[in-house]
Amino acid sequence: MRERGGWLQVLVVLGILALAPSAWPAEEIRVGAIMDITGATSDVGKDYAMGIREAIQYVNDQGGVNGKRIKLFLYDYGYRIPEAITTYKRLKNFDRVIATLGWGTGDTEALSPIINKDKMPYVSASYSAHLTDPKKTPYNLFFSADYSSNARAAITAWYDQIWKKDPMYKDRVAKGDKPRFVCFYATAVPYSSAPIKAIKDQAQMLGFEIGDDQDIPLTALDTKSQVLAAAKFKPDLVWHGNTTMSVSTAIRDAYAQNLGAWHIINNWGFDENLPRLAGDAAKNAIGATPCAFFGENVKLMDKVVEYAQKMNPGVPKEQRLIRTTQAWAAVMLLWEAMKRADKAGKLDGEGIMKAGFESLKDFDIGLGAPPVSFSPTDHRPTSIAQIYIYKDGKFQLLERIDLKQRWPEKWAKEWLGW
Amino acid sequence: MSWLPCGVYHEHYKQDHAWWQTKFVKAKMFFLALVVLLIFPYMDIVAPDLGPYLLSIAIMLMYTIMAASGVQLLIGYCGQVTLGHAAFVAVGAYTSCLVLMHGPELAAMGNDPNPVVRLLAGIFAGLMKAGLLYPAAIVLAALVAGLWCVLFGLPSAKVKGFYLIMTTIAAQWITVEFFITQFVSQIGGRQQAFTVMPEHFAIGPFVIDSDRKVYYLGAALVLLLTLAMANLLRSKPGRAWIAIRDNDIAAEAMGVNIVAYKLLAFFVAGAMGGVAGVFWLNFNSIISPEHFQWFWSLWWVGVILIGGVGSIHGTIFGSMFMVLVMEGLKAVVVPLGGAFPELLDRFLFIKEALFGLAIALFLIYEPNGIAYRWWQIKNYFNLWPFSY
Repeated sequence: MRERGGWLQVLVVLGILALAPSAWPAEEIRVGAIMDITGATSDVGKDYAMGIREAIQYVNDQGGVNGKRIKLFLYDYGYRIPEAITTYKRLKNFDRVIATLGWGTGDTEALSPIINKDKMPYVSASYSAHLTDPKKTPYNLFFSADYSSNARAAITAWYDQIWKKDPMYKDRVAKGDKPRFVCFYATAVPYSSAPIKAIKDQAQMLGFEIGDDQDIPLTALDTKSQVLAAAKFKPDLVWHGNTTMSVSTAIRDAYAQNLGAWHIINNWGFDENLPRLAGDAAKNAIGATPCAFFGENVKLMDKVVEYAQKMNPGVPKEQRLIRTTQAWAAVMLLWEAMKRADKAGKLDGEGIMKAGFESLKDFDIGLGAPPVSFSPTDHRPTSIAQIYIYKDGKFQLLERIDLKQRWPEKWAKEWLGW
Repeated sequence: MSWLPCGVYHEHYKQDHAWWQTKFVKAKMFFLALVVLLIFPYMDIVAPDLGPYLLSIAIMLMYTIMAASGVQLLIGYCGQVTLGHAAFVAVGAYTSCLVLMHGPELAAMGNDPNPVVRLLAGIFAGLMKAGLLYPAAIVLAALVAGLWCVLFGLPSAKVKGFYLIMTTIAAQWITVEFFITQFVSQIGGRQQAFTVMPEHFAIGPFVIDSDRKVYYLGAALVLLLTLAMANLLRSKPGRAWIAIRDNDIAAEAMGVNIVAYKLLAFFVAGAMGGVAGVFWLNFNSIISPEHFQWFWSLWWVGVILIGGVGSIHGTIFGSMFMVLVMEGLKAVVVPLGGAFPELLDRFLFIKEALFGLAIALFLIYEPNGIAYRWWQIKNYFNLWPFSY
């Protein structure tokens, strides 16, 4: 009987704890975050989650949203969609958040019909172009150029700067040879496959010859067979659509087997860890980056570094990644929208969207990110993609491409939403 | 007729086989149905914070029950160990998705020169007119998933146990990673994800577009699957399955066609998985291969191990344990998160560790699962005050 009494006590405590959240003060603004700290993309997700926490602390130290503190509910969902869905429901219904910071493409796309119904502004770390058409996904947002624009820009930058200018291709260009191109990515993963259609379209437009895709899992530790299969096609350029760990495996294997191709990489595969993991193989790797690398000399970076050291002193500064900066940029974007919505007296889902995000015109986030604009008919945050190259032991800007300026017609009429 | 089932003496087989043997039990079940069907979905009127959240958890619970039912049938009743059930759930989800997405196009092809297409167009046009496209999609998904499961059940004619686990794991890679990802997902040009607008989930004039309606659909499907399974187990195939599970050589010696019955078990289990897939699509409106990772197959096996292998109750108890306890953990961890943010960041580690620990502890201390414990509790009250 004593045992049963013990259980009863536990149940009572659980009940009280479960009811506790409704007792929080009202002037707090509740913001949710669904992060991947332990799952397949945790190689980049851990730093992002740390960044979210640090950035929210910074916002609160600055007085929050016009004096209202933000209370953050951050959950790990382990890159599992069902987990993301129950977590979101908890955030919406139980924790009562008014905006959410999300993570992956698979779960963000899976949640998009639900968040539309709920009118929940959802600032994701997925920059999938599928989320940029307000007719289909009116409540999905992010701060950077979308994956498709990044991919288009990366292949164009390589074409402009390497294929046309590098002496090694001089004879082939003169002969009228076509550059040869293949894609390495996890075909089952929406994040990896989101920009493939766009990049192939761009490759075709630029006159590339396109080989078969190679399927590389996000957790790949060996990619020799894929590299061998690609080697038969003799590619000049490989697109990597996965995250850093998997990309570094692939470029290391390509290097070991003398594939002889250049590598262009989607933003979640291109960070400070790439040269650490891939060593010499990372030389000349080209990637799309949404903002400045950690510690670069740009606006607001001093705060990013300060808060990183203050809140997570256990992680040395040298090991922090661009992911932290990206997390800050997402929070800064949401903060600005909430401030504007609050000023307009409409601090709810629809208000944050209309009076907040959709009022942003060339808004400067800082952190080395291009200025952001949203309109009710177009949720592509920017048309500028920054393409970096890892050369001589550091990341250097290769080209900054404004897709809207370069292909105004296609940007306006064709490219929205994919 | 007594209040408690203990001491009830049957005069006919019919009485002995009745689901609910006393009026008291019947009243209990009626009350349960009232709570499940009428009171629970309207919780948000009383508790606007908690109601919708609990409703979404209940929906996850029902999805888990449906998916785990198939695993229970295969492992618990027929002894065919499976670790690839997510593949059949995926087949069901994708089949219904394709029917709902492309059904209307097909229905419009009434003038096609090909007679087969014309026939199909006629059938689909008729279904759409009657508002039965979604129910038809459910049935078709169950059939296709069942047949797909039979395909991977074929090796069970030759191999058993550990070797069969390997062939069922193959189902996952062949179906989800290869077939769905490389081929099915390429239909429609939006790469991996398929979206079905909520208005397509309509049974006649009723559109299933809110959590509450999805809940009702789920309750109906769970009830249907449980009844179907319970009745199957009381009939000839069920006895044959149990005979195969207990000793397949003895079963064959008794004249049970073990290959046919094993394949039938795979068909029924696959069909149940298919129904779970349809339900999942209805809940989310969107699917991609990421929804059906191999981990879920393992999860559902965990569900039946904890709930009780070889028990229909076990499937439900196991699902409740896995969904509710794991979600309930948040109620403990989240309030502590203010003081220890690390705890929230590491929440999934805690959860995963608990999943593993729960399975290990159940296998050691309660190998028959929660269902057995439930049976003991019921017996305690039925036999009270004399526990013998």
